Amino acid sequence: MTGLGPTPSCDHLEGCITCGDEAVEMRVLKIDAERDLALCGLRDGEGTPEGEGRSTVEIALVQPVAEGDVLLVHAGTAIAHAATEGVMA
Amino acid sequence: MKFVDEYRDADLGRALSGEILSMVEPGRHYKVMEVCGGHTHSIYKYGLDDLLPENVELVHGPGCPVCVMPMGRIDDAIAMAHEDKVIFTCFGDMMRVPGSEKTLTDAKADGADVRMVYSPLDALRIAKQNPEHDIVFLAIGFETTAPSTALTMRRAKAEGITNFFCMCNHVTIVPPLRALLDSPDLRLDGFIGPGHVSTVVGARPFEFIPADYGKPIVVAGFEPLDILASIRMILAQLGAGEAKVENQYKRVVPYEGNPAALKAMAEVFELRPHFEWRGLGFISQSALKLSDSYAEFDAELRYSVPGVRVADPKACQCGEVLKGVIKPWECKVFGTACTPEHAIGTCMVSPEGACAAYYNYGRFSREKVSA
Repeated sequence: MTGLGPTPSCDHLEGCITCGDEAVEMRVLKIDAERDLALCGLRDGEGTPEGEGRSTVEIALVQPVAEGDVLLVHAGTAIAHAATEGVMA
Repeated sequence: MKFVDEYRDADLGRALSGEILSMVEPGRHYKVMEVCGGHTHSIYKYGLDDLLPENVELVHGPGCPVCVMPMGRIDDAIAMAHEDKVIFTCFGDMMRVPGSEKTLTDAKADGADVRMVYSPLDALRIAKQNPEHDIVFLAIGFETTAPSTALTMRRAKAEGITNFFCMCNHVTIVPPLRALLDSPDLRLDGFIGPGHVSTVVGARPFEFIPADYGKPIVVAGFEPLDILASIRMILAQLGAGEAKVENQYKRVVPYEGNPAALKAMAEVFELRPHFEWRGLGFISQSALKLSDSYAEFDAELRYSVPGVRVADPKACQCGEVLKGVIKPWECKVFGTACTPEHAIGTCMVSPEGACAAYYNYGRFSREKVSA
């Protein structure tokens, strides 16, 4: 992934989201359909400095994807579409 | 933050805590294992165990991939990192895991080119930028992370990259759960199932837990209310004398998982006959290696490594912690000789490890209680 924003963290207290079983929600900003890649930013990234928290993400596993979609991203790969509404059993 | 704050609402948390209290039978002890290291981290970070009745005990399982890595594999990784013209890449936590003599960070200090990456795709990018070097990526993680490696290996093959190699340490979640359930050391009442592993494999693979062992399992999200709601669902099953798979994390986890991810994994990986887990020993068909059609990318075929089984340090009780037999603070070296800054055992290295999570968050409330 590119970008060194707060999204991919190996911070000791917050946890290493790439090697733990955690994923982060990211919003699709731009799609490179030919290469199954997308530029993604923080889910609620309004007001975030330009470029911060942005990453190149593999989207092959969650197609179809559209700009504006929110994806669950783990280790640079989107593994699911995030729900747009909360569901708690 | 929308879609997150709703799952951290303190009033709802207190209400769930009250419901849980009303559901437990006095005199009965409930032992619930959270399988996933991410859940362990959330439980300590948010102090969720303080919201549970005394007779509901959370047991921390083997779901942190860093924590289950045996020392011999670290030695093998370090040997590869010291090979001529190798750039060795791995996730951040792996750099601090002790081998028998040193860590990958120490190897870097000794001159090896070891670099931290956030994704396999980052490692592949380094390979493209350094055609005169061999790039080894240490792949680690459960089924959450394995698809990411699989896609990158597919990409490397499609693009004809010849200087990119994978040391595969991916593990699978079902065999260690079965090993734990077969262990006479541990009597569990139910499981909080792994959330993001289940986005890939679905909830169906856990059906053996109620079917073969008569225990409930609830696949759970990672926010505080997700975990409390899951405990409530487990207690409801126990109260009704039921045992089934339930999915609390429906907003993300489809019951059948992600078919595209499973297909990619099936193409790139195959099961190892057996693999050593720290604390659990060798477990059959519990880990992945690159399949024959990706053998040209297999770092273990390219480099000769020691491949020696190394016993854990005598003082370290990670094995018992990983099996949930003892709590982190019951380990002889917890918080004294073994701290996140100077870890002896792997459970203290990764923030998802039970010892590190408890050291960073839980010890304060325990000190408060004992005072």
